[in-house]
Amino acid sequence: MAKDNMKFNSRDYSLKKSSPVGRVICTILLIFWSLVNLYPLFWMVTLSLKDNLQINVTNKFGLPKGWPSQWHWENYTHSELGLLTRVPVFFKNSIIITVLAIGIALVAAMMASYTLTRFQWKASGAFNKMFLLGITVPVQVSLVPLLVTTSQLGLTGTRISLIIPYAAFSLSMAILISNGFMDNIPKELDEAAYIDGCSRYGVFFRIILPLMKPAVSTIGIYSFLQCWNELIIATTLVTKEEMKTLPIGIRNLVGTNKIDYGMIGAAITVATIPMVIVYVLMSKRIQESFIAGAVKG
Amino acid sequence: MNRKSSDTGSIIVFLLPAVLLFVGILVAPIIISTYYSVFDWRFPFDKVYCGFKNYKTLFTSDWYPLWGSIKNVFVLAALSLLIQLPLSLGLALMLGRGIKGERFFLSVNFLPVLISTVVIGLLWRRMYDAEGGIINPILRSLGIIGEENIQWLEANGDKLLMACIIPMLWQYVGYHMLLMYAGVKSVAPELREAAMIDGATPWQVDRFVVIPSMKQVLKVSVIFSVTGSLKSYDLVSILAGDRTSAAAVPSTVLMNTKSIGLYGMSSACAVVIIILCFVAAVLINALFRERD
Amino acid sequence: MKKFLSTMLVVVMVLSLAACGKKNNNDDGSDPNAAYVAPDMTKSVTLNFWSICVPTDSNRGAYDDAIKDMKAKYPNITLNELATQNDEYKQKIKDAFQAGEVADIFFTWSCAFLGDFVQAGKVYCLDNAFKDPDLKDAIDTKMCNNSMYNGKKYGVPLTMNIVTLFANMDILKEVGYNDVPATYDDLMACCDKLVAAGKIPFGCAAGANQEWCVTEYVESIIEKSCGAKTLDDIFQGRASWGNADVASAIDKFQDMIKKGYFDPNGQSMDNEQVKNNFIAGKYAFYINGSWNCADFAKVDGLNVKASEFPVIDASKSKLGQLIGGPSDTLAVFGNGANKEIAAKYALELGRLISKYGYLCGAGLPAWKVDYPATDINPLTQAVAEIVDKSDYLVLFGDTAMNSVDKDIYLKEIANVYGGQVNGQKFIDDLKKAIR
Repeated sequence: MAKDNMKFNSRDYSLKKSSPVGRVICTILLIFWSLVNLYPLFWMVTLSLKDNLQINVTNKFGLPKGWPSQWHWENYTHSELGLLTRVPVFFKNSIIITVLAIGIALVAAMMASYTLTRFQWKASGAFNKMFLLGITVPVQVSLVPLLVTTSQLGLTGTRISLIIPYAAFSLSMAILISNGFMDNIPKELDEAAYIDGCSRYGVFFRIILPLMKPAVSTIGIYSFLQCWNELIIATTLVTKEEMKTLPIGIRNLVGTNKIDYGMIGAAITVATIPMVIVYVLMSKRIQESFIAGAVKG
Repeated sequence: MNRKSSDTGSIIVFLLPAVLLFVGILVAPIIISTYYSVFDWRFPFDKVYCGFKNYKTLFTSDWYPLWGSIKNVFVLAALSLLIQLPLSLGLALMLGRGIKGERFFLSVNFLPVLISTVVIGLLWRRMYDAEGGIINPILRSLGIIGEENIQWLEANGDKLLMACIIPMLWQYVGYHMLLMYAGVKSVAPELREAAMIDGATPWQVDRFVVIPSMKQVLKVSVIFSVTGSLKSYDLVSILAGDRTSAAAVPSTVLMNTKSIGLYGMSSACAVVIIILCFVAAVLINALFRERD
Repeated sequence: MKKFLSTMLVVVMVLSLAACGKKNNNDDGSDPNAAYVAPDMTKSVTLNFWSICVPTDSNRGAYDDAIKDMKAKYPNITLNELATQNDEYKQKIKDAFQAGEVADIFFTWSCAFLGDFVQAGKVYCLDNAFKDPDLKDAIDTKMCNNSMYNGKKYGVPLTMNIVTLFANMDILKEVGYNDVPATYDDLMACCDKLVAAGKIPFGCAAGANQEWCVTEYVESIIEKSCGAKTLDDIFQGRASWGNADVASAIDKFQDMIKKGYFDPNGQSMDNEQVKNNFIAGKYAFYINGSWNCADFAKVDGLNVKASEFPVIDASKSKLGQLIGGPSDTLAVFGNGANKEIAAKYALELGRLISKYGYLCGAGLPAWKVDYPATDINPLTQAVAEIVDKSDYLVLFGDTAMNSVDKDIYLKEIANVYGGQVNGQKFIDDLKKAIR
């Protein structure tokens, strides 16, 4: 539905048809704002090609000096960074943890949404409100209780100990979005299925789930934004070198008495560029999913 | 409707995973925090019941500026509503009217949300530098400041709070822009065309047709930006540190007390943050309902 | 047959573990009468080790070398190291103690930081482990003082560092000094000349979380005003902060700021920027930890001298009173499975880190030097000489104080630098807040 709306073409309203002066002013404003937003990305890359002296004193904002022979490519090849040894492990952990957390949040949210939007029961409104208030809870609250529970369950040092909290903190948003999508599925479909003899479970798995496919990417994107850069929970629960995630790995490049900003820049660039490439390639899809979440939620 | 009998069973089954996750990871810690918050508990000593002493200390002590931090986040929330959201709305309306490169602008403006806060923090630190930074020269060329160099990040200075707020507002403009763009696009084109035919200017169409029908999206944006402000942490921590009082936010007070082992006080901070967010969410909901 | 053997092996291991567990519960490693029994280091065990030695840390090389040596010496012991960034580590280790999930061997700071864990009864006493005939004479007992509680040793000191006054000799030469000013008055006169010549005398980071850099200056000035013993007593809580000498030292420091001795942009910088500015020749002096020696020595054409801050009040203080000491420490978790083994391992590991840390210029050794140490950079050697001649080391204030007091102290230090409090207010506030 949202897709149809996107193609509207009311002639006079469109800036493309309005007075050239207004159009030019708007374009200039937008270009300016885009430059402001693109600059951090550019700066991040230049950071990775300079040494500490340039970054801190002589050349804080510009391109690295001496193109290209004096660019500090060694920031990427430092053994401390471990571009080919440590960084892939961080990536792997971050991907596994984020994907599984999103998966769990997705399944739990859809199941919960099913009861919240399809069943008529007394406490439904109360549950709905409770889940939504979860959006307001800051992660810092749960650290010590999480650590105690993790160790009591014997999960210390496993990826699960990160996956579960990440899923829980993504859950509220996921339920909010999933409710919106599910509301849009006509209830007549369920009724028809019941008449055909389907049970509650049958309806959920055969009718609802297949129709919820568009919700998956929307929930995925919102949850991804929540999990990918998470640092506070990860610091507390990571107990092994092998389970470090990307944000922890990068943070750990900050030495006690020594900070090599060039190398940190290289690490962040390596961590960010794949994400930006994926974003650029899929931007249309991502934006539409994001937008769908806003409208439905 | 002869399915009622089996409903209780299936409600429990379907709700169970979400409730388990939610209660285990979010609700239980809140209850535990509330319980801890009435204990005088300092690592490594045992906890001793102390009533509301922690709250009293937090609201009166010079060293743990919770009261000041609440004032600060209100400033942040207010500026989000007054600057960030209108800016996002303006961008969304502009892009919603269709302009060359719409997609490009949409994508680029969302980028800051994807970039790690660590980079954003580092970059802004460099930009604020009184020497070799770029904020001061820009303001000077605009005639806003004189010859003097402004120390934006002075540890307890009066500009520190503003210096932390600006990047926070900026980083999420794209996020809200995308949300609102969705709202603009979801307005039925016929409504707009009808208004145009009636002789309205595009601006009037925005004001009287588009914005009123975006209410749902605006509500989401307002809730996100207000609760986001109330629990903000990362950028303040990078730019001003957890020990700051000038730019303290409740989360930095929480992390500061926690890191020095004052678990009772830190739990009390958590309770205060949750209450703040809760009240804000309820208030915003009520406000938007009243406008109906 | 193979299966039978492996099953037997497992049974034996479980039994021995159980036996160990029981014995360990009664023995906290501190029985003064117990004869030393070396633990079986050939047992195949896994030890977890938490450090702050992240890949870019200046000690990383020393840790790597030490761990390599240890692995070669004890091939059956697997060491799993987890390095966590300094600030996060301070949080993590407290949370971990709270939850009872700590690594067998963990990095800690001596004095108050380790003291909290000892008080919680969760640190293994190393008195017996230090009886090891190979190790007991390898370290001077006074090096262990900072990690002794109730007369018992709980920590393995690694390296030590002191606050050092680094001077860029090329810049001093420009204002007519061929040596570092030896008296306080001369130093101030030198600063005046530098300011008149358009040079910045001192660089000090005072931005977010950089209070520790300010303390390096403030503590040096206080110590040389009121004397090492007095400052030590104040830090240890044996004397009150209400000391007029401290107040006047703070006023002196603020005077220096007012006279333009410090980089006016200090508050927007972190230590790394200030250090790079010093290397780039922007400041004449830089007061910071001796761990910088190796980095300065590496820079070609940088003519730096290391010395101590001059005496301000000769009736109370004298040269040889320094700020610093063994702070970096290893300790053994009291509820671990193989405490005896972990203790011996920690001692030997600590000794090696001390050695390799010294050799690479990351700090001075806490353990005796029984190896040739001729290749060490001249700056570190100069600092070693200063320490040799010293007679009183006052540990860094932020290590000496417990976390709550330290937090207040650092917040007040930020106020001092920002000019929000003067000397009198400083001592009044701290007297009231720190008992």
